[in-house]
Amino acid sequence: MPGFQYGVSLYSYTDDFGTVMTLDDAFDHVADTGATGIEILGETSVPLYPEPPSVWLDHWFAQLERHRLEPTNFACWVDTRIQIDRTMSVAEGAAQIAQDLRLAHRLGFRFIRPKFGVIDGELTPDPIWEGAVERNLDLAHQLGLIILPEIHSPTPIRHPVTDAYVRFIQRTGTTNFGLMIDTGIFQDRPLDVWGGGETDEIKKGALSFLNGIKVPVEHLADVIDYVPFIQAKFHHIDENLHDHHIPWDRIVPMLKQLGYSGYLSSEYEGARDPWVAIEQVRRQHALIRALEEQYDAAHAETIHA
Amino acid sequence: MLERSHIQSTGFRNAGPAGARTGFEVRLRQANYRSSRLSLIEGVDITVDGVLYPAEHNLFRLGEQTYTRAELNEATQTRLYVGDHFTVIVPKPGGLARGVHRVESAIHYRHPYFPPEFQPVIVRNERHATIIQP
Repeated sequence: MPGFQYGVSLYSYTDDFGTVMTLDDAFDHVADTGATGIEILGETSVPLYPEPPSVWLDHWFAQLERHRLEPTNFACWVDTRIQIDRTMSVAEGAAQIAQDLRLAHRLGFRFIRPKFGVIDGELTPDPIWEGAVERNLDLAHQLGLIILPEIHSPTPIRHPVTDAYVRFIQRTGTTNFGLMIDTGIFQDRPLDVWGGGETDEIKKGALSFLNGIKVPVEHLADVIDYVPFIQAKFHHIDENLHDHHIPWDRIVPMLKQLGYSGYLSSEYEGARDPWVAIEQVRRQHALIRALEEQYDAAHAETIHA
Repeated sequence: MLERSHIQSTGFRNAGPAGARTGFEVRLRQANYRSSRLSLIEGVDITVDGVLYPAEHNLFRLGEQTYTRAELNEATQTRLYVGDHFTVIVPKPGGLARGVHRVESAIHYRHPYFPPEFQPVIVRNERHATIIQP
């Protein structure tokens, strides 16, 4: 059975990027983990997004080749509440997604993750999402890209938001839309440090989110057929390769059992002290690779018994 | 490369002619992990030595262009990139005295993907910074 593919999202290096790390540095750190895939944030990683200079495009492809990395997911945003007093129309949302599909395609990506504005505390996306995506299914098909909204804490797998995405896939029959699972939904111990831009207001008001929503890993079976990509969110792994919040010892065997062979793209979201993320990402790769090898070894013994 | 703190040492200075200062300026790096449209920035409060200078009176400068809060809301296609910096212009006749000051910033970001109760998100920073020319 094919194994996982290992990748790194440059989100991991938030705050380092632009202060103590260049994109070239990031390429080096990602490649040295042994990863084969690099995930970027379009607006963050691409200079002068959405119109990068041609010299930068040449450098991008040279770096991919030099480090033997393939572009995986291109993270992007549909800023529905674009102004204080106005939200985006379906046409504007569709134009945003089309722009990101085209740029992602130019850069060689296979997936885009549009992050839609939401209308409530359960992260229900602005209703324009459905029309905006549907208008782009043909373009995504032509460009060979899959559009992936993420299932992100505090939204669990068994939830109307996820159900609506699955119904959309079933109604349209598309193969160019799927689900991205963010492994933060499996967090089962509280966070002490969150690297997502913590403020006092969030600490006071989002306790369920920071404590973890503890989705049972078995629920992956409900949706795995629609999941071609996973963001391997985590917050802290100690020197004994013990993750303090995300239960990889249950996630990895479940994904193996379900036959998942897509990317696990590291998304570190912990303490934002300079350079901490570089080491944390390496620990996560060591941890998950060890668990995958253990599963494979046990499985091989079963077969040969 | 920029300093890690949102507030930058460089760029903290008085504004207007010497002897008739109209205010002071504070340089901040993009504190968000992605490149915000300016229309998603609802303003920046500055506090110096405990005195608050609220966002509604401050101007925002990116490159050569200066914006009021209302003008930021119109700038949907202009982005503050990660790795870039901007300047908050604070009106204060006479400016600030020479020396080291305690400077605080509070950037009001609207993240459309955050629940409505967390909008805007206020991202704070504080540090010492030095005015060289009164």
